[in-house]
Amino acid sequence: MKAAPFDHHAPETVAEAAALLAEFGDEAKVLAGGQSLLPLLSLRLTRFEHLVDVHRVVELHGITRTDDALRIGAATLQAEAEHDAVVAGAVPLLARALPHIGHFQIRNRGTVGGSLAHADPASELPTVALTLGATFEAASVRGTREIAADDFFTGTWSTALAEDEILVGTRFPVWAGRTGYGFAEVARRHGDFALAGVAAAVALDADDRITRVAVGMLGVGATPVRVGAAEAALVGTVPDGAALAEAARAGMAALDPADDLHATAAYRRRVGAHLMETALGAAIEEARRG
Amino acid sequence: MSAPAAGRYVGQAIQRKEDPRLLTGHGRYVDDIVVPRMLHAAFVRSDLPSARITAIDVSAALGLEGVSAVFTGADLNPGAGTMQPSMMAENPAAVVAPLTPLAADDVRFVGDPVAIVIAESRALAEDAAELVVVDYEPRDAVASMEAALADGAPLVHPELGGNVASDLALPEDPELEAIFASAAHVVTERLVQHRHTPTPMETRGVVASFDPVTDQLEVWLSTQGPHEARRTFARVSGLPEGHVHVRMGDVGGGFGQKFFTPREEQTVVLAAKRLGAPVKWIEDRRENLLAANHARSDVATVSLALDADGHVLAAKLDHLEEAGAWPVGGTGGVGPFVAMLFPGPYRIPRIWWRSRVVWTNTAGRGAYRGPWMFESVAREQMLDVAARATGIDPLELRRRNVVGDDEQPYTMATGMTFSATTSATTLEHAARVIGYDDFRAEQARARAEGRLLGLGIGLYIEPTSTPAATLGVEAATVRVESGGGVTVFLGTAAHGQSIETTMAQVVAEHLGVAYEDVRVVQGDTDRTPFGGGTGGSRTAVIAGNASREAALKVREMVVGVAAHLLEAAPEDLEVHDGVVSVRGTPVRNVSLAAVAAAVHNAGTGLPPDVPRLLEATGRYQTSSPTWSNACHICTVEVDRITGQVEILRYVVSEDCGRMLNPMVVEGQVHGGVVQGIGGVLYEHFVYDEAGNPLTTTFLDYLLPTAAESPRIEIDHVVTDGPNPEGVKGMGEGGAIGSVPAVVNAVADALAQVGATVTEQPITPVRVVEALEAVGA
Repeated sequence: MKAAPFDHHAPETVAEAAALLAEFGDEAKVLAGGQSLLPLLSLRLTRFEHLVDVHRVVELHGITRTDDALRIGAATLQAEAEHDAVVAGAVPLLARALPHIGHFQIRNRGTVGGSLAHADPASELPTVALTLGATFEAASVRGTREIAADDFFTGTWSTALAEDEILVGTRFPVWAGRTGYGFAEVARRHGDFALAGVAAAVALDADDRITRVAVGMLGVGATPVRVGAAEAALVGTVPDGAALAEAARAGMAALDPADDLHATAAYRRRVGAHLMETALGAAIEEARRG
Repeated sequence: MSAPAAGRYVGQAIQRKEDPRLLTGHGRYVDDIVVPRMLHAAFVRSDLPSARITAIDVSAALGLEGVSAVFTGADLNPGAGTMQPSMMAENPAAVVAPLTPLAADDVRFVGDPVAIVIAESRALAEDAAELVVVDYEPRDAVASMEAALADGAPLVHPELGGNVASDLALPEDPELEAIFASAAHVVTERLVQHRHTPTPMETRGVVASFDPVTDQLEVWLSTQGPHEARRTFARVSGLPEGHVHVRMGDVGGGFGQKFFTPREEQTVVLAAKRLGAPVKWIEDRRENLLAANHARSDVATVSLALDADGHVLAAKLDHLEEAGAWPVGGTGGVGPFVAMLFPGPYRIPRIWWRSRVVWTNTAGRGAYRGPWMFESVAREQMLDVAARATGIDPLELRRRNVVGDDEQPYTMATGMTFSATTSATTLEHAARVIGYDDFRAEQARARAEGRLLGLGIGLYIEPTSTPAATLGVEAATVRVESGGGVTVFLGTAAHGQSIETTMAQVVAEHLGVAYEDVRVVQGDTDRTPFGGGTGGSRTAVIAGNASREAALKVREMVVGVAAHLLEAAPEDLEVHDGVVSVRGTPVRNVSLAAVAAAVHNAGTGLPPDVPRLLEATGRYQTSSPTWSNACHICTVEVDRITGQVEILRYVVSEDCGRMLNPMVVEGQVHGGVVQGIGGVLYEHFVYDEAGNPLTTTFLDYLLPTAAESPRIEIDHVVTDGPNPEGVKGMGEGGAIGSVPAVVNAVADALAQVGATVTEQPITPVRVVEALEAVGA
């Protein structure tokens, strides 16, 4: 399992990286932590003539908070974000989801931006980004632009990033008021890709009425998905257990999970509904305490 | 029974001699071998399960700079000797598939090697391998036993005329049928154990170097049997055995996969010989999963007849074993063993069995820790099925049928005789440790809350050190070096068994030297006596007793020399920690170093009746298996929504005779148990119906990790084994008892709501489907 030959480039600025991507087009790929790309290269399931290794690009690292957003540089390690108090305070859903990514050894190498740009439909960070409506910052020699999460994930392992674009950072909205968050997933073993998983966020008014709710799922489609049917069933209500179960059932009914080696579509529906109920229940419980 | 006392060294949990290098990352494996001018090999493998090769074009690959050679079957197959292991090669009656170094006319499974590319680096060899163009005429394949047995099925090996490699059965038995017809209870189930692959942490690997001037072949190998490898390489290459030198360093696990010498290693040797340059091949993980021998894959329909009190009256076993295309070590042929051992530790007065071995277009079957263990899986599952049918508690049902410790030797209805086992005792011990009755109460309380807990028992006896072919003997040579240190030369091949430690303990004990002064040498055919290899739970019994005998012989020599030096009678001398002294007068003593100096220093001159050699070889031979036994009990909780299984507690009560080193025994039990848990809940090598493998990375072939491993509670029942050292084999047992224990625990949990599961692996989907099938 040796990768086919490639040239390794190690730019030190975003501009240099963007120039390399512009020069080599579809023969180039950005290499961040390498936790997904290197196995694919080694198995020769994919190949690129040029790898643009961004780990030396200082401006891609770092976590910053403004009043209404948390910005994470694309090359920030997952482990850094996982253990960062600012992340946990501003976007608790990220802190809940991060420990589910692989094993700690993987998170010590894997980057936040790498996971988002790789866009595996069963991975945690893309689901959180979609659920909270994050904003993606992309750069190329043509300039910079922002991409909304709803537009970012276009298919399995594919995003709205153009061939010559590099993901620079991601801004996650900070929810204010009485909020709560839940994340739950089921995997074959600890650290495996989820068979199904749910990210949920809620905000309540003083009467415990849901004023805002976001539910996203992983492992049940070609991309991470928002579960609009569940959100619609819950917003403006003070749900009891039965109402939560019904919202989860309605949410799952609108989705179309697939069979694969490790789980059937029917299994994903059953477990997905259960996880949605669990994650939403935890989020509401937390918000009510707050 | 009384437990034998531990010795000064034997029986002590001494720290392992292997640990300093292995735990600090300084083990030396075959991939650490670097030879001047060494080249690297990669195989071109079939990506079709069955096809005729119509053309192979190697020109583009040969044109790549840095590529030394590309060999196909046309190059290496002519003149190659048999590739079968000794026990098959020397058995004219053996049915073997027509294995060649490389597939030349046909490919018969995905992964079949078609060409070998040799280049300056492995990466370059892989680049060149991609450039080899093979034209195939695809054919229909059979990827399962069901498909292979269907009328008109395509043949895996057309030369052999059918897909059934062997079909053995007892004659029909009207008396047995009459027993079934009149029995109070008859239970029948179809049981399935799925395909695994052994997955040693270190994949296979070889470095081969041939010197055409001396006609000498040097091979470094990741193996469980360097002496068997030497014979195999001699046969396939046509070289005299004396011209083949095989060495091994540390080996990162084998589990049976490296017990015989596989096809790829032999092909690399042939390529190196032809090329006249050293060649290294280190198997990558994908190849290991795809093409190294697989294991398990058994199906059986089993019936038990019982009387009203739950005594088993008779059994029927119709067993199918999947051999794949190129089984390693023969036809796969453990089937008759499964049938012969099926009664296990129970009184089953009458049995009928049939055993078929089936070829399929899949990776070949080979040895895997407890190769015949489906007998325990099938039997223990059936006892639980019978318990549910009769309404008798599964522990009680086993009590009524188990052969008592004092009822042995006992001959099974299949003709196998076992002795000196303690199944009844371990059953009670394990039940006591797990708190059997308390758990049943807890299970009932949980059930009332809607939770599903379950308990499973796996009781088995294991024939260890089975003397098949070369496997019944081992030799050990013990030498006192000129400075008084002790070296032990063994034909064993440690790959995780702590043999350097345990055999040093045995020699230190019986020779009377300090453990620290004993060094064990193994894994070099030029330096060590012939040995059958490490596997089959045979080292403690056979090498252990050979080491003991050699140590005692050398002790006698030491005493003889010391008697001369001390002017004392030999029978008045004792040897402790390297000092020979007169019993009762310890100040009259001489060190082993002084004894060695007297022998090696010719100038001092010794009288003619004093030994002038401090070296001896012991050879232990066994003519029948040494039986060990254990009872595994585990408790689980099954999640009713997700179908996931959590192991709550895991208890093993085992009897492996006198323990050479309890820490090593427990390590072996731990590893085996986790392997069994992995097999039941996670591991599954999957082919689709067309014969395409679907689990060729660790993303899809799921091994148990530390996170999936429960704490394992071990109870030792220690009785003397029937040999001078009092030991019994135990390397495989952990992987045998764990499988039925886990399967039965899940089945016990599900039975509370009327759901059943008889097929492995027990995946979350399978559990959920079982629950949904009964509306639970």
